[in-house]
Amino acid sequence: MKTKQVKKCYFCANNLEVDYKDTRTLRKFVNFFMKILPGSRTGVCAWHQRKLSEAIKRSRVMALLAATHK
Amino acid sequence: MSKTKSVAAKHYEILFILPNKFTDDEAKKVTEQVEEKIVAVSGKITHREYWGKKRLAYKIKGNAFGYYALLEFDLEGIYLAKINQELRLFTEVLRHQIVVKKPKTEEQLAKEQKIRVKIASKKAAEVRQEQEEKNKSAETSSPSDKKEDKRTKLKDLDDKLDDILSASDLIK
Repeated sequence: MKTKQVKKCYFCANNLEVDYKDTRTLRKFVNFFMKILPGSRTGVCAWHQRKLSEAIKRSRVMALLAATHK
Repeated sequence: MSKTKSVAAKHYEILFILPNKFTDDEAKKVTEQVEEKIVAVSGKITHREYWGKKRLAYKIKGNAFGYYALLEFDLEGIYLAKINQELRLFTEVLRHQIVVKKPKTEEQLAKEQKIRVKIASKKAAEVRQEQEEKNKSAETSSPSDKKEDKRTKLKDLDDKLDDILSASDLIK
């Protein structure tokens, strides 16, 4: 019997768009050293992971997210 | 920041930071200046947001705080480079970023609304199920009755014991 696959991707499951201004959600996909976490660890699908990495980099440019921890 | 030069107007979004040396009113005036710059090259501003003073994630030119402002506008692609260059030379703006933003069509909006309704109904169903399960478990287990039963039994036993002990012919 096939087991039912659970959709893990945060953005797919909640029907959200990746936004570079929304730092509170972006912060979830970054570790203590402010490095971008891999999709394999956070469960984000490949399509959203591409948008996510772009968004995190954009928010770093605008000083919304730090590039490193202090 | 796309480098393609299209003639048709596109929808853009700009976010910029103003330095901490301004007061709140002055910062608002500077945002108006930026708006004028966009309008001057036949841009059409569709949305304005003023976030106010915020702490920067890192210092930019010695500023730990800055005023954020966001504008959405329609502009022909040819003029984008011009605006970018002008804002870079405009010393009142610490930093800016222009991003292409696709306006949503009605079809997309309808689709999203459908999905939202689906998710909401799913969640509601889950909550209902949980409540039903709770009710069931409450019905099956009634611990107070059982305790009473035990107590009554004990009382009966005590009474019987008393009867037996009080009987005088037990010892003889």
